[in-house]
Amino acid sequence: MYKISRLQIYIIILIAISMQIGPLNYLKIFGMKPDVVLISVVFFGLLLGPGAGLEAGIAAGLLKDIFTLDFFWINTFIMALAGLCVGMASDKFFKESKKAVFTVVLFTTILSMSAHYFLVYIFSKNFALNYFSYFLSSVMPACIYTGLVSIPLYIAFVNIYNLKEADDYI
Amino acid sequence: MRTQKSKIFRALVIIAIFIALLCNSKTITSKTRIDMSGFFTPALESVHRAWALVKKIIPFSSIREENRLLRERINLLNRKIEELKVVSAENARLKTILDFRKTIPYVTIPAQVIGRDPSNWSNSIIIDKGINSGLKFNKAVLSTKGLVGRVLEVGRYSAQVLLITDPNSKVGVVIARNRQGGILVGMPDGLCKIIYISLDSDVLPGDKVITAGYGGVFPKDIMVGQVVSVGREPGRLYKYAVVKTAQDLSRLEEVLCIR
Repeated sequence: MYKISRLQIYIIILIAISMQIGPLNYLKIFGMKPDVVLISVVFFGLLLGPGAGLEAGIAAGLLKDIFTLDFFWINTFIMALAGLCVGMASDKFFKESKKAVFTVVLFTTILSMSAHYFLVYIFSKNFALNYFSYFLSSVMPACIYTGLVSIPLYIAFVNIYNLKEADDYI
Repeated sequence: MRTQKSKIFRALVIIAIFIALLCNSKTITSKTRIDMSGFFTPALESVHRAWALVKKIIPFSSIREENRLLRERINLLNRKIEELKVVSAENARLKTILDFRKTIPYVTIPAQVIGRDPSNWSNSIIIDKGINSGLKFNKAVLSTKGLVGRVLEVGRYSAQVLLITDPNSKVGVVIARNRQGGILVGMPDGLCKIIYISLDSDVLPGDKVITAGYGGVFPKDIMVGQVVSVGREPGRLYKYAVVKTAQDLSRLEEVLCIR
């Protein structure tokens, strides 16, 4: 059984999206803010498995889609995929390692932002943004920033829910 | 029995003599009094000093209380000063908007920014005015310094504004100095880029960029920003110019929506 209830997962996602809409906009570095919604989805996938990762991803993506002026389904799709993939690969990582968490968050951010770019590139008309410049100006700062922010959040998350034993994670 | 009676008798005799002496001799009584008081003086002085010390210490509790109240009052006043500073800054901002509103030839609706896009991809804001306030779809949104974006989704009490820095935003613009045109597209990092600038145009860093007025969404000659750098993308027949918006869109708090 999870130590984290379903209601708690949704509450954490709601808090993350509220932070993303409000205060985090004042903590931008190089025009980018840390994606705490993606971080929460990665945590749920990593610690609770693919089912919870997928569920958290769908909920978080749907909320993101509501508050953004992008294609409506795009965030739901990407976040759900991210939660599912991290959940499926969760047994390959040593979850107590902060470096592992940083690496997972870093690569999930790179892959999700790149997937976002290519999906918009396919479905948008007259899309003019060059991937290389997008990668350098947006993806790089965002992934490093998000990865760094994920470490203290992970420590707090594990301590709050007292996730110490292997059984707590699954 | 006899000894007890004699003891009582002796005590009564001594008391009677003592009373007789006290009543009859002022000298003896005063001397006795002085001696007695002299005997007790150090003790009295000690008591007096102790009492004086107590009298000094007792007000400390009331002073401490007064100090606490004064500190609380200082904190309250400092907080009020900070609140007044915020109100003053807001007042100045609103006054600027009001002055700006009078100068532009459009009917505008002032609105406050209540939220921002949660993703790093898009750049949009949520404002506190909607259909009920007379806001319409696809109308331009301005700030005192220049163009902000356009209304893309309108609810009853709120609306979402696509900023000009969003990758999906496209605005027809011209360089103010030579009226050479291009299309301004947004970039996720908060800057914009003018694409489709002809190779022979002399766009330079520092040039002011204004709206062209094509398409009817954005009014003509509204300040957009300033050219930061100019370049040429490999394999294309056009130049591009990176533009820094006139208004810092990440710090936007109030906007004006054209009705």
